[in-house]
Amino acid sequence: MTTHLDLRDVSVSFNGFRALNGLNMSVRKGELRCLIGPNGAGKTTALDIICGKVKPSAGTVTFDGTALQDLEEHEIARAGVGRKFQVPSVFRDLTVAENLEVARARHPGVWANLRWDIGGAGRADIERLAALVGLAEQLERPAAYLSHGQSQWLEIGMLVAQDAELILMDEPTAGMTVQETRKTADLFARLKGKHTLVVVEHDMSFVKAIGDIISVMHMGQLLAEGTAAEVEAHPEVRRAYLGSGGISNA
Amino acid sequence: MDQFFEQIITGLSIGSILLLVALGLSIIYGSMGIINLAHGEFVMLGAYTAWLFRNYFGLGLLAGLIPIFIVVAVIGWIIERFVLSLLNNRPLDTILATWGVGIMLQQAVRLMVGSELRYVQLPPSLSGSMDVFGLSVSSYRVFLFVVAIALSVATWLLMNRTTVGMKLRAIMQDRSVSASFGINAKRVYGLTFAYGAGLAGLAGALVSPLKSVSPDMGTGYVIDAFMVVVLGGVQSLAGTVASAFILGELSGAIAFLQNDTVAKALVLLAIVVLIRFRPEGLFTTRVRA
Amino acid sequence: MSSKTSTQTALPRLGAQLAPILIVCAILFALPLILNNDFLLNKVARYLVLGILTVSLALSWGFGGILNLGQAMSFGIGSYAMAMALKLKTVPVHTGSGGLPDFMVWNNVARLPWFWEPFKSLGFALAAGIIVPALVAAALGWFIFRSRVTGVYVSIITLATMVVLNLVIIDQQSYTGGFNGITDLAQLEIFGIAFDAYGRATFYLVASCVALSLLVAFAFTRSRAGLVVQAIRDHESRVRYFGYDVATYQIFVFALSAAIAGLAGMLYTIVMEFASPTFLGVQLSLSVVVWCAVGGRQSLVGAFLGAVLVAGVQGALSESAAFLETWTLVMGALFVLVVLFLPKGLAGLAQGAWRWIVQRRQLSHEIAQSVGQTKEGSA
Repeated sequence: MTTHLDLRDVSVSFNGFRALNGLNMSVRKGELRCLIGPNGAGKTTALDIICGKVKPSAGTVTFDGTALQDLEEHEIARAGVGRKFQVPSVFRDLTVAENLEVARARHPGVWANLRWDIGGAGRADIERLAALVGLAEQLERPAAYLSHGQSQWLEIGMLVAQDAELILMDEPTAGMTVQETRKTADLFARLKGKHTLVVVEHDMSFVKAIGDIISVMHMGQLLAEGTAAEVEAHPEVRRAYLGSGGISNA
Repeated sequence: MDQFFEQIITGLSIGSILLLVALGLSIIYGSMGIINLAHGEFVMLGAYTAWLFRNYFGLGLLAGLIPIFIVVAVIGWIIERFVLSLLNNRPLDTILATWGVGIMLQQAVRLMVGSELRYVQLPPSLSGSMDVFGLSVSSYRVFLFVVAIALSVATWLLMNRTTVGMKLRAIMQDRSVSASFGINAKRVYGLTFAYGAGLAGLAGALVSPLKSVSPDMGTGYVIDAFMVVVLGGVQSLAGTVASAFILGELSGAIAFLQNDTVAKALVLLAIVVLIRFRPEGLFTTRVRA
Repeated sequence: MSSKTSTQTALPRLGAQLAPILIVCAILFALPLILNNDFLLNKVARYLVLGILTVSLALSWGFGGILNLGQAMSFGIGSYAMAMALKLKTVPVHTGSGGLPDFMVWNNVARLPWFWEPFKSLGFALAAGIIVPALVAAALGWFIFRSRVTGVYVSIITLATMVVLNLVIIDQQSYTGGFNGITDLAQLEIFGIAFDAYGRATFYLVASCVALSLLVAFAFTRSRAGLVVQAIRDHESRVRYFGYDVATYQIFVFALSAAIAGLAGMLYTIVMEFASPTFLGVQLSLSVVVWCAVGGRQSLVGAFLGAVLVAGVQGALSESAAFLETWTLVMGALFVLVVLFLPKGLAGLAQGAWRWIVQRRQLSHEIAQSVGQTKEGSA
């Protein structure tokens, strides 16, 4: 498999604090990569850099041969990058169906969207998506009335609707029950292969359940990379997590 | 050459009035995120209070300044306490609420003292003129300049050198964290708003001898003051000061060449074009997105 | 779930949303049959025009999240476009020669300014009344939204722009009629129909425009682009990560709203028989925001009715000056109360009540069913 996403020497700082300090990472096409690391390691910032929320002060981000670091957020999204935020970010005053409809951005221009799409082929698509994330019964409810877990699911559904080649997930299982987490793992297993996924996660059992290769970040840099067993045995990783009771409790 | 300096001094004079009006607005917006559309009405209230003091209590303008500050600050505090504090996390709605309050204040004054123009006398001690770099300048305008600068410095000291200011800055950073350290955000917000309102009242009192006093006098001032805040960027006292004088000089110069209206139109145009390149205002630096 | 059920759920929703608009329009068209008083009809027409203006604000504010405090600017531009064309139609009558409007003659203007020339064509004026406000809004929007200026800043800039344009119009008296505006206009005549301000034709014209504006605005809000605009209102940055260029959508809705306001402005000139700087004044712009908030910013019909009701009450009270003064005070208080306690306005209240009734009926229906079932089971 070929390299799909490639970060080279990426650095960024906020008010003098170096959140990323020469990060190098590459992800192959169709891979599910888990990103772990202690608090403040720069995991979320790495996702922010890829999707364009934060601009790097140095370094390059290449996706599918396209340099992303100078593009605007919507251009990056059009290049095939989707992002799920840590705090579920859905459109509160729109219904579940409308949320999914917005996410199904086939033609992002304003003129192309000056049309009605009621009861058409798109509708069946939306019902399928809603069923996938367990919200089939909530289609006409405003997203503001959903529970925290349901909002998480809705946003995941929106990412599937967006059908991005590269999906970035920031703690997708936060606030989910054990059962919901298992369901999420199943869904990710289905997405992998067709999509490339980068998942930031704290829950080690979840990481072990879904991840092939795990990247460990520390102080804005890549510390180690490998399978769960490899990184757990890695001496640098053990030192980075020292005091927090080892990697499984992070 | 003389004309040039005269022009500069006119600009400074316009700038100091702008600064007086914009200071309170900038403090309230910068620290509470509230666009106070009733600010112009606070200015108007200050002017009317000056007129009231003069005509009913025989209190001169200078002697009245501190009482005027207190009167308008108390009104501001009441509004914060009973209207704005109910609107946490709804910034667009605070615009509307303050606008509504503004209409009420304006209308209340109109009903109580009528809409005819009122005049406030210059303080006798400042009605002459003095010599600045070989030019004769009205003493009152020099006085306004000094007061505007002094109030800016006082505000800076208040924000950076007192406990209330420190608490306010803590709340601006993170309201819930500061609350867990026992800072009473409600109280600090109330005081901040009252202070901003008081400053507006002072501005109104100070400009009242230069222009006539009427219930709708605030509208004109407040639009200009907003331009100052937009140009200067929020959360930057130095930015507010600098942009007030830049706009003052600019308005003065264009008004000299054309007229007041053209000056206003061109200044606005310049600001709109400018925000395309520096949306965060001229004098603020970018922080974490 | 099959696609059959999906059309079943989607269509009644559309019907439920369209019904209030159709009912309102039906009432408007029936009104002249009941109301046999030309003077009163003209008054109602004024409120309807202000209703259109308020609908335009609801579109940008309630749906797009863009609080345009200078909405009356577009209204004023439309109104002046119409007034300029109608003024030029009177020229031979009023000045006899020179082709100059009377106020220009008084101000010693020698020849018609270039920007008045095209208004000799009524077709141009009608188009300009809609297109110019839209273009101005798009240009201003380009600066604002491309810079990612949001929220309160947008409100200040729109307000300031309107105030400045107002000052310029008053200042340039010899070209604009200044403080007095443009008065003494000819009657609008299209396809041989004369639109007298007090005639039925004008009322039907206004009613048709109300219907048109409501339907266009509704169609937009239900389109995919309208959904995106509402998504931007709810969570601007999130929309970007789905690949939408947020600024384009904001500029679009901003311009569309300005175009509708421009249409309202043209109609206002027809029913008022003049154009005035007050049409793009702070006072009117403020009132529009109040009407929109009271009626319900997220409901087109709500905003429309809010304007007609509040402006109507205000108009009825304006017979007595003292009352009007107090009324302004009352309106300020009402506005503050609505903002504090009724963010979705009267429409929100009505929707809540409707939902409650429907739920009650559903509940009693379900109870009846389950009772029936248990009876069957026991039988």
